[in-house]
Amino acid sequence: MVENIVLGIGLTAMAGALATVAGAAEDTESDIGSQGDPNSQVQLAPQMGYVHRIFNKAIAGEPPAYGLWVALGAGITGALLAMGVNAILALIIGTVLTTLVQGVYATTAYLGRIASLAKFGQPVYIDILKSMTTVTMAHAFVAIFTTVAMCYLMNAALGHPFPLALLGVVWGIALGAAGSATGNPYYGKERQYQNQKFGAGVPVAASGNIVRYAEAGERNSLDNGWFTSKLGGPASGICFGLIVFLELWRTVLFEPFLHGWGAIIVGFIIVLVFTIMDRYIEVWARRTYGPYVKEAAA
Amino acid sequence: MSVTPKPAGGVGMDMTAMGLAILLMLAIIGVAWYMFGLSLIFYALIAIIIGGALIGFGVHFVPVGGAPAAMGQAPGIATGVAMLAGGAGLAGLFGGAWAADLGIVVACAGGAIGGALMMAITCMFVNVIYVYGMGIPSASGKAKVDPLTGDTQTEYKSQGTEGHGLPFISFVGGIVGGFLGGLGGTLIYYVLLKWVYVEKLAHALGAGPLANVTPIAISLAGIFAIGLFLVNAVLAAYNITGTIEGPHDPKFARWPRAVVATAVASAVCGIVAIAIVAV
Repeated sequence: MVENIVLGIGLTAMAGALATVAGAAEDTESDIGSQGDPNSQVQLAPQMGYVHRIFNKAIAGEPPAYGLWVALGAGITGALLAMGVNAILALIIGTVLTTLVQGVYATTAYLGRIASLAKFGQPVYIDILKSMTTVTMAHAFVAIFTTVAMCYLMNAALGHPFPLALLGVVWGIALGAAGSATGNPYYGKERQYQNQKFGAGVPVAASGNIVRYAEAGERNSLDNGWFTSKLGGPASGICFGLIVFLELWRTVLFEPFLHGWGAIIVGFIIVLVFTIMDRYIEVWARRTYGPYVKEAAA
Repeated sequence: MSVTPKPAGGVGMDMTAMGLAILLMLAIIGVAWYMFGLSLIFYALIAIIIGGALIGFGVHFVPVGGAPAAMGQAPGIATGVAMLAGGAGLAGLFGGAWAADLGIVVACAGGAIGGALMMAITCMFVNVIYVYGMGIPSASGKAKVDPLTGDTQTEYKSQGTEGHGLPFISFVGGIVGGFLGGLGGTLIYYVLLKWVYVEKLAHALGAGPLANVTPIAISLAGIFAIGLFLVNAVLAAYNITGTIEGPHDPKFARWPRAVVATAVASAVCGIVAIAIVAV
C-alpha cells in the first residue's frame, strides 16, 4: 500500500514535470507560428500597409490543433504498443510521425494565409518558410512527446480507464487552452506591440501597427519565440503543469478517503486557495499601479 | 480595425423556432419511451439532455476575450469560447471518468471539481501574466463596479481599450463555467457507460463476460461524451457571438436560448449514441 502511494506520488510528479515542459514548448511553438489569437494582428498588418516577416500558421486555434496532434501521437503510440513495440520506441515513433504532420500543416497554413495577403503587397518569404517551419516542428516535437508520455503514464501506470488516444484528445485540448490563455496576451500585447506604452492595453486605433524591425534588420518569428520563451512560455508551462499535477495529486492521494469524497473536498480547497491568490494579485495590482485616470474624469 | 464587431444577436427568443425545437426534443423523448419504456436507457437519454443543457449554460459563465484580449484591448481570456470551455470540461471529464466506479454522485462531483480546478489555475495565470508580465491591472468593460467585490472598474481601463485582464467576477464566472461543464460532461459519460454501453455492448457483441467489453464501452462513452461536449460548447459559443466577460455581461442574459438549443441538440445526439448499441 505504502509503495503504491509513493509510486503514485512519484508518477504524479513526473506527469506534472512533463506537463510543465509541454506547456512551455507549446506556447513557444504557437508564438513562433502565431497560432494563437495574436495571429489576427499578423494577418491585419499588411492590410494596414505594414508588410512584415512574421510567420503565421493559424488556420485552427491552439486547442483543436493540439487536440489533433496529441491524439494522433497518442493513437500511433497506442497502436505500436498494441503491436508489442517497446514503449519508449513507440512514443518516439508516434511523436516523430505526428511532428511530420505538424510540419505539413505549418507549411500549407503559412503559404495559404500569407498568399491570401498578396493583394496588399505581402510577399511569401521562402527563407522564412524554411527557417521557421523546422523550429516550430522542433518545439512541437517536445510538446507532443511530453504530453503523449504523460498520457501514457496516466493510462499504463496510474490506471486511468481512457485509452491512450482519448487521453490525447482530452489533454491536447486542455494543453492548447491553458497555453493560449496564459501565453497569448504576452505575445500579442507585450511583443507584437512593444512600441506601445508598457502597463496599458493596446489602444484599438493602434491595431495592425505591429513591431516589424529588430535590433538588426527585420524582426521575424524566431525573435518573437526568443522573447516569449522568457516569460509567456514558462508561465504557460507552470499553468499546465499545475493543472495536471494537482488534478492527479488530489485523485491519487485523496480518492481512497471518504468513498471518493476526499479528492473532491481537496479539489474544492485547492480552488479556494487559487481564488484567494487571484484576489490578492488583483488587489496588489490596483494598489501598486493605481488607476489610469481619476474616477471623476473616467 | 481588429475589433470588428460581430453580428449582435438580441436577448429575446424566437418563440416559433423554440416551440419547434422543443417539439423535436419531446418527439425524441417519446420515441425513446416507446422503444425502451421507463428503463435505465430512457433515463440515460434524459440525463444526456440535462448534461448537455448544463454544458450550454456553463459556457456562458466562462470569460472569453478572444483576439482583443490578447492585445489587452478587452477583458477575458485570450482564446475562443468553445476551446476554453472544451479544455475545462474535458479536464473535468478526465477526473470524473476516473471516479466512475465510485457511483454517479462522486463521479459527477469529481468531474465538476476537475473542471473548476482547471479554470481556477488558468484564470489565475491570466492575471499573473497581465499583472506581473505586462503591468496591467484588471478592469471590466461591461460593469462600472465589480458585483462581487464592489471595486470600481472604469478608472482602471487604459485609454482606448474596453478593459483588460480578469476582474474577480470574471474569475468566479470561469470557475462556475468549468464546474458546470465538468459536471455535464461527466454526467453524459457516466450514464452512457454504466446505464447503456456496458450491458448492451455485451449483448450486442455476444462477448460473454463484462470484462471483455468494458474497454470498448469506456472508449465509446468517452468519444460520445467528448463529441457531445463539443457540440454543446460550439452551440453556446454561437449564441454568445464572439466574446463574453462572464455573468455580469449583458450577453449572459441570452442563456435560456442556449439551454433550449443544447438540450435539443443533446437529445438528437443522445438518441444516436444510444441507438448505436441498444437497437
